[in-house]
Amino acid sequence: MTTTDPQPDVEAKNSMQAKYFRKALNDLTPNNVGQLKALNEVIFTEKQSDDFYKDAVKSEEFAKLALFNDICVGGITTTKETVEGSDKTKVVITTLGVLNAYRRMGLGAMLLDHIITQSEEAKDKAISEIHVNLQTKDEGVLAFFKGRGFAAKGSSGALVRLINAPVSA
Amino acid sequence: MPPKQGRELPSKESALFKAILKLYEHKQYKRGLKQAEQILKKFPEHGETQAMKGLFLSHLNRKEEGYEFVKKGLRNDLMSHTCWHVYGLMHRADKNYDEAIKCYVNALKFDKENMQIIRDLSLLQIQMRNYEGYNETRHTLLSLRPTNKMYWVGLAISYHMLQKYDTALNVLSAFEESLKEQTDNVPDYENSEMLMYKNLVIEESGDYQKALTHLEEIRGKVVDKRGWKEAKARHLLNLGKLAQSEVEYRQLLDQNADCHAYLEGLLKARGLVGDLDGTQLEKAQRLMNELGLKYPRSHIIKRTPLKYVKGEAFHRMLDEYLQPMLRKGVPSLFVSIKDLYTNAEKAKTVEEVVLGYKNSLKANASFSGKAADGAEEPPTAYLWVLYFLAQHYDYKRETKKALECIDEALAHTPTLVELLMTKARILKHGGDSEAAMKTMNKAREIDLQDRFINSKCTKYMLRNDKMEDAEKTITLFTRSESADPLADLTDMQCMWFALECAKSHVRKGEVGRALKRLHQIEQHFCDIYDDQFDFHSYSLRKMTLRAYIDLLRVEDRLRGHPFFYEAATIAVRTYIALYDKPKHAGSGGAGGAEGLSEADRKKAERKARKAALKKSGESAAATETSGTAAANAKVDKDVDGTKFLDANYLDEAEKFARNLLTMSGDRVEAHILGAQVYTRKHKYLLALKSVKRAYALLSKPSASNASPQFAADLHVAAIEFWNAVNAAKEQKAAPVPAPTKGQETAQYPTQSPPLHPTVVTLLDEEIAALFKVATPAAFNTEFSKNAVSSPESALAAAQSGAPITILDSHCSDVKRMSLQTAISIHKGLSSSPIADRTRADKFRDAARTAFPTATYFK
Ligand SMILES: CC(C)(COP(=O)(O)OP(=O)(O)OC[C@H]1O[C@@H](n2cnc3c(N)ncnc32)[C@H](O)[C@@H]1OP(=O)(O)O)[C@@H](O)C(=O)NCCC(=O)NCCS
Repeated sequence: MTTTDPQPDVEAKNSMQAKYFRKALNDLTPNNVGQLKALNEVIFTEKQSDDFYKDAVKSEEFAKLALFNDICVGGITTTKETVEGSDKTKVVITTLGVLNAYRRMGLGAMLLDHIITQSEEAKDKAISEIHVNLQTKDEGVLAFFKGRGFAAKGSSGALVRLINAPVSA
Repeated sequence: MPPKQGRELPSKESALFKAILKLYEHKQYKRGLKQAEQILKKFPEHGETQAMKGLFLSHLNRKEEGYEFVKKGLRNDLMSHTCWHVYGLMHRADKNYDEAIKCYVNALKFDKENMQIIRDLSLLQIQMRNYEGYNETRHTLLSLRPTNKMYWVGLAISYHMLQKYDTALNVLSAFEESLKEQTDNVPDYENSEMLMYKNLVIEESGDYQKALTHLEEIRGKVVDKRGWKEAKARHLLNLGKLAQSEVEYRQLLDQNADCHAYLEGLLKARGLVGDLDGTQLEKAQRLMNELGLKYPRSHIIKRTPLKYVKGEAFHRMLDEYLQPMLRKGVPSLFVSIKDLYTNAEKAKTVEEVVLGYKNSLKANASFSGKAADGAEEPPTAYLWVLYFLAQHYDYKRETKKALECIDEALAHTPTLVELLMTKARILKHGGDSEAAMKTMNKAREIDLQDRFINSKCTKYMLRNDKMEDAEKTITLFTRSESADPLADLTDMQCMWFALECAKSHVRKGEVGRALKRLHQIEQHFCDIYDDQFDFHSYSLRKMTLRAYIDLLRVEDRLRGHPFFYEAATIAVRTYIALYDKPKHAGSGGAGGAEGLSEADRKKAERKARKAALKKSGESAAATETSGTAAANAKVDKDVDGTKFLDANYLDEAEKFARNLLTMSGDRVEAHILGAQVYTRKHKYLLALKSVKRAYALLSKPSASNASPQFAADLHVAAIEFWNAVNAAKEQKAAPVPAPTKGQETAQYPTQSPPLHPTVVTLLDEEIAALFKVATPAAFNTEFSKNAVSSPESALAAAQSGAPITILDSHCSDVKRMSLQTAISIHKGLSSSPIADRTRADKFRDAARTAFPTATYFK
């Protein structure tokens, strides 16, 4: 299609979206963990250790990569901890990032939503909350998490989203 | 000679002997051996049994004993076809085909109609390309079994290969006649293939009209419809029936619009090939437009018109070609377009256009101007544009700009392996092979399951002489169960790895190891040639005749393959350097032992040998303890390839050179090397032939001979040749002097034997005609006058005695040189015979600015 066309019809627009804005999630494996490392090195200032990535590979569905047109452009990693004074587990987001050039296209949401669904569907409903400790004061990032049901909790500064909680909570 | 009755055994043993033959057919070698020994207990001198025993032994891994018994058997019964056949089988198993043929011929003297032996003989003959013999044997086979279709076809092939087309066709026709009488039907495919083969023979006879008529006749019986149509289009084209041919090619394009051959056929049918004039260009353009509308999905049809259009139209078509590709993200886009760069104007347009995209995408997420709402390009479009530009600048060897683009791309998306690979390539071209290697390793690390990147990374490690890292990396992808992962690469005939290893060894002065690798490559080519053996019978049985003819021709050209070419040129250079070393130590380009004194060199060699022995001893010990797989692996007793250092260098060089001359005779480099080898072998007429051919090739433009280095090398080789002839003429019929020190073996006569007067006259005449001046010095002076043409030539002239000043103008213009040229100029300036420190240093300073990334000048 030509870009000079003043009014691209809706159909063309949709097919262009489907063809050239392909989005997907991918498993994190020992073979591609180098890509996550490369991503995180440009997205975050803090550098993660080799052990961090070794563990990440073992998180099964609780770590994912985001693909745009088959190129890896984002990723999420988490760890699991027990909630103090409870037999429940909380999922802690350790990194969630999308490359600058690929933001605001829904990839971050795809990654996070995947973790939320996985938490909700976890065996025995053992997961009660998802945590994230933001290192940034960025309003956009905050808006992003708030938009997905996260809220500040306590003095720790962590954002928390409850899982499988009664609606009233 | 033993009496004839010596062969006849009593009935019990005779039955046993027959059983033995069966056992051999069923590959029951152990039982066969036992039973043979049983007979031999009673009749120890029974020749045929001895031969069979030998055959069994050789199949049981006791080859030497085997040969002994076979020979013994043969001596005891020289008139036995069995003994001769067995001896032939032994040779054949050892790929000693010439000897095997002799044995089979002898066997047939005593048993003229033994089908098995005749058939085997024919296979050996075609393998050796003994077409006359093959033809004769095929005649015999057919006369013995006139109803067997294989023998008809085999005979036809033998005539075809002898280029006796008419006879070949008669044989095929006679066979067809006989088929008509047969009741049981030949399968459709086989019949069809035979007819198409017949058509091929007619085509090769050059009678295209007949081929076309025949093709129409067989139409209904041919199952390979596509092949039939291709043949028709081709015949029409060859007959000059262009309009009809065009129709056929258009129909073929309908079936596959991405087939180069069809498009080319169509263009030929329209007379639109070669250098086109204005109207022709227009026609071509119109044709391509039409095809483009008809086949919007064909890639080659999109690309080809770019060759024909110019100016504004080119600009427009380029846009149409590039934008969808960049939107989609096609990594090979630059490669698909770079052949247009031979036209400087087009190269410039490409640069402008893509730079335009870059700015526009950055500002508006659109290729041009402002994007309509929702029509923004994906962010990857910008990425692919940067990627394209990086390759573009790299192609122009503008290393700095290329690096800027690729670094911006990597900051944009650091996870795309292609970017890292391209960055590695840019660094390599810029002369920093270490940084290139590290970058390639990064690429490998972000995609560990990609074998291609793994191999690339290995290659870059070898270019950096990091042998151990390379071996570790490549073995990540070899079969894990094999005891020696590197041996697995040899089994898989992995040539690029062997070649890169050889080059690295050469750089490090590990000459034996290098030669070992190079001979390994040569062995691969032998094996590939040997592998065709089974097809001589298989293809006739299955009637895959056209493919079989193709195979024969591929095998005939096998050593023209780039891998062989490169390996052979390096081998010849290495052997020449080895040969030259004792004479004037230190000048050999291949020697890492350069600069060592003779005694030191010996000592180093001894030490290396010892280390190798120790190493192989260690691995031998390891095999004893580890599992069976390891035990089966052969222990390499000569890791360092010392055996190659003990060979006759010039003989070995000549073997490689001969292959180069026959298989790559259109390449100047082959003839330069040929001249160098033959000059040293004192075969002056052959050297002269190569020199003459090389000059002839240089005078004709061709891509593979274009490097200015060749003119320089040829000049040096020519002078060397001339000087050697002059020295040889001095040589009186004196005894060849004893070998001088450093040439332990008497196999290297450094002085020419006296030349025959006729040879001298001939050489004198030819040399006068070729060089047109009286002396090598005068020839060099003449050459120097033209030395402005290239720095390589100027250097060669200076090295051959011209004043060093002729290089000065080039030296001050280092920016226009390629990095490769700059490095060889610097090497030339700093080594003998020039060895001009001041000039070399001054040149290095200039080169450092011209090639800021090159480590050589750091
Ligand atoms: C946070 C981050 C992962 C979001 O990724 P993303 O792919 O751009 O997010 P999405 O496109 O899925 O955004 C979903 C919604 O979140 C909100 N949002 C996201 N980024 C926003 C911003 N900068 N400003 C306002 N809202 C924003 C929007 O509502 C958005 O929907 P919309 O685009 O339809 O309006 C990305 O900005 C990032 O990598 N930031 C840096 C790393 C970081 O700080 N990570 C946080 C925890 S470790």
